[in-house]
Amino acid sequence: MLSESDAKVLKAISEGQTDPQTIAEQLGMKVEAVRASADALEERGLSKVNKTVNEIFTLTDEGRLYAREGLPERRLLQAIGSGKSMAELKDPALKIGLGWLRKKGWAVIQAGEIKPIGTAARGLDEEVLEDLLSGPKSGTMLDGNGLAALKGRSLVASSKTKAWKYEITPEGSRAASDQKAKGAESIAAITTGMIKTGDWEGGRVNYGGRLYQARPYDVTLAADRIFPGKKHPYQRLIDFMREIMLEMGFTEIKGQIVQSSFWNFDALFQPQDHPAREMQDTFYLESRAEIPDFTKVKEMHERGGTVGSTGWGGAWSPEIARQEVLRTHTTAVTIKYLADHPEPPVKAFGIDRVYRREAIDATHTPEFEQLEGVVMDRDVSFRHLLGVLAEFYSKMGFEEVRFRPGYFPYTEPSVEPEVFIDGLGWVELGGAGVFRREVTAPFGIEHPVLAWGLGVSRVAMLKLGLKDLRLLYQSDVEWLRNTPVTVKL
Amino acid sequence: MPVVRLYYEDMERLIGASRDTIMSRLAMMGADIGKRAEEEYVDVEFFPDRPDLYSPEGVARAMQGFLGLRTGLVNYDVEEGPIVLEVDDSVKSVRPIIGCSVVRGLEFSDEAIESIMGLQEDLHWGLGRNRRKVAIGVHDISRVVPPFRYLGADPAREFVPLDFSEKMSMHEILQKHPKGRDYGHILDGCERYPLIVDANDDVLSFPPVINGELTRVTDESHDLFIDVTGTDPVVFKALNIVVTSLAERGGRIESVLVRRSEGDFRSPDLRPAPWTVASSEANKLIGFELKAPELADCLERMRFGAKAEGESVQVQVPAYRADIMHSWDIFEDAAKAFGYDRLVAEIPKTVTVGQAHPSEVRKAEVREIMAGLGYLEAMPFTLTNETVHFDWMRRPREGATRVMHPISELHTILRTSLLSSVLEIFSLNQHHPLPQRIFAAGDVVVGRKTNMHLAAASIHSGANFSEIRSVADAVLREMGLEKQTKIVPSEDGALLPGRGADILVEDENIGLFGEIHPLVLRSFGLEQPVVALELKWGEL
Repeated sequence: MLSESDAKVLKAISEGQTDPQTIAEQLGMKVEAVRASADALEERGLSKVNKTVNEIFTLTDEGRLYAREGLPERRLLQAIGSGKSMAELKDPALKIGLGWLRKKGWAVIQAGEIKPIGTAARGLDEEVLEDLLSGPKSGTMLDGNGLAALKGRSLVASSKTKAWKYEITPEGSRAASDQKAKGAESIAAITTGMIKTGDWEGGRVNYGGRLYQARPYDVTLAADRIFPGKKHPYQRLIDFMREIMLEMGFTEIKGQIVQSSFWNFDALFQPQDHPAREMQDTFYLESRAEIPDFTKVKEMHERGGTVGSTGWGGAWSPEIARQEVLRTHTTAVTIKYLADHPEPPVKAFGIDRVYRREAIDATHTPEFEQLEGVVMDRDVSFRHLLGVLAEFYSKMGFEEVRFRPGYFPYTEPSVEPEVFIDGLGWVELGGAGVFRREVTAPFGIEHPVLAWGLGVSRVAMLKLGLKDLRLLYQSDVEWLRNTPVTVKL
Repeated sequence: MPVVRLYYEDMERLIGASRDTIMSRLAMMGADIGKRAEEEYVDVEFFPDRPDLYSPEGVARAMQGFLGLRTGLVNYDVEEGPIVLEVDDSVKSVRPIIGCSVVRGLEFSDEAIESIMGLQEDLHWGLGRNRRKVAIGVHDISRVVPPFRYLGADPAREFVPLDFSEKMSMHEILQKHPKGRDYGHILDGCERYPLIVDANDDVLSFPPVINGELTRVTDESHDLFIDVTGTDPVVFKALNIVVTSLAERGGRIESVLVRRSEGDFRSPDLRPAPWTVASSEANKLIGFELKAPELADCLERMRFGAKAEGESVQVQVPAYRADIMHSWDIFEDAAKAFGYDRLVAEIPKTVTVGQAHPSEVRKAEVREIMAGLGYLEAMPFTLTNETVHFDWMRRPREGATRVMHPISELHTILRTSLLSSVLEIFSLNQHHPLPQRIFAAGDVVVGRKTNMHLAAASIHSGANFSEIRSVADAVLREMGLEKQTKIVPSEDGALLPGRGADILVEDENIGLFGEIHPLVLRSFGLEQPVVALELKWGEL
């Protein structure tokens, strides 16, 4: 607890008073008592006391005389005019000036005669002398050299005085307002009644005939960390890509995870002995699917149908086509959609999980998202495919795209788009091509189908700076919490 | 994809262009150039449709055309040779097709031997389906005496296989020789094994497994006998690729007369296949505007024979090309010769209105609700296993789609519900501060059909039924399901009895919520109470 006088002084300081004299007058206290209180407050960290020591200069009687009449050497100089013999100098007051006259180089003595030289400009000592004539002054206001010269001639005397300047600390502010609330109850929570009818003044409220003070807090302290619920960063990327596709006028399509080999492979003219169909690359199921009328697909595989193709030769087996698989690409869904919608124009896309029989490591997962888009229309060509790709990748934020020849079993021509990434150079990102006639013809699709696809998790690695794909699926809660919704995609 | 090692010096000599010129255009011809550039060589990959590029000689041949140094069809001379190979009927049920050839006058450097061995292995992969469809043998012909015979032999028949010094029976070779162990399965169920022998009954080859040691090719070999056997006419493509590649090294090709009961033929047959293509069709597909002579010019640079006739081009497809099935395959080559980098990309004028799939729209609503309730989204794998998905959840093993050859014990089935995946995420994150609230919205597969589910769970010391009841009510309300649903006590094994509820629409169970049974928590290694919700919200 503060003593009553300490409390009064604290209040005065907190209200902006800085010097003991004023405070003493205001509180009707002795200056010494104010100073004692201020020192006590400083010890408790409630105020700061800045002490300064000041030296005050005053003229001596002699100094005051010279200040009025001029220094003896100045008066002597005036008296000698253009020259005077030493013998003529009678006034003893003038004689005092003789030594200084020579010291300052205002005159020389030659053969018993005093002769002025130079301009005898007004000196710094004379200025200080004049400054002090109006009253005592602090050393900081006077020229140091002039002052020193006058002190040496005992024309000025000095005395030291102390000054105090008070300042409130943050703790002092709080203590002062607590003090202010003295007689008021300090509270943490504000009640409905206080909000509705309280008589507020600052943080103090008169409510129901009593005084309350909302306790001030240290607002600079951090509180507990909290995290918003939010979408997964990877989903954010997927949504970004979906929006690009929707904006470009594509219809979103979806399909089953479990597909027949027919839709996953055969409909795409993948020969039944193709290495990609082997057990080591594809998740097969025991089950068999119903498949649609396969006459034309079989004919295409075996002999090339009616489009002038050689076909693969050999015998195409519907039994192999009925084997169910976990879709190895979203193209299984796309070709089925095109078979159901063979009339132009069609612009469709999907982003969905696909499955590959791969062991898990930092860059491989047995399931991952694939984006796929197709444009089917009259009079579209491979060159238009490059146009769609350039537009898509630029919307994705990849400014530089180049096209290299590629190979995919169901497209011809095929192309591998590459994007330029600082620090990595050209990075292959996806594949594209025009669906072969052997793919489209059996389903009555008579116009070119421009198609492209890419692994979305690869994009995530580039965009989210991931080193390990597993993080997308086996999420670390801290990573989710610390990846902001504003993460740049 | 097969890796072809190209030595710069060798390539400069074979192509007749500088290293810089070659390297600057290689990628645009379709090569995938390895990141590691060495002092003396570069490793490149070519796509599986172009086995003719699996050797430095094949790459050089294509590159000469691509650079415009030597264009058009290469005419390989085939000398009619005296050697005969007789195909015995006994081999026809095992491995019926054989093509063969003699190539003479070769000088074998180490590089050349490396190249021919590499080509052989890559063809086994690219065309041969790991030797099942095609297997190639290369022999020093000076060590054997023609005529040769291809027959189905008794597995007890003995000879000295390559890399061995002792005689072994063919049966033993399949057990003991490394190649036998790798490829013996191709002959599973066969009573006789394929064998090529000479006039003295000495063994050249036991296709598709191993050659005899007798005809090993060394740096002193000059004249070769090549056999290609298999089950598909692609055998002849492989043969053509090998012999033309050797011809590029300076070899002289000599044909072999193959005698068969169904008719004799001379092998190899390097006559090109004739195609007629219309320039208008090429222009329509690629989007450039080439006149027939310009199209022919492009094709000549891809080493086709090509002659413009009016609006059409008469194309001769080299005998070593295995990928030309349709005119579009020819047009793609024209586009490559023209240069993908010279095609002007143009956005098609197709006007359509974008439309999101209803299930994705719904899923976005679900995410908004859950994020609003303070839940963090996770996107776990859809593959899981019966132990975690059923046993740990105290649920019967029902309704899951099982994959036939799982790659790990962790991923044997597709999930039928989502909750166990969320609990797994908790168990991975126990060291992070609680409470944790996680949700997942995604696909599950029940009876091989894809359904959409939501699971949400909350773990902390104070997690209790009323917390999850509030969440469940909020979710149902926000999804507009509140009025249709009925909440009844649940019997689900994953929930604590008396503290779990099922969500019904009419009589269909569409979800549940409640406190997770402590025995479930123990299985997942969780030490704090968990409350959870699962809801089926759609099907495809």
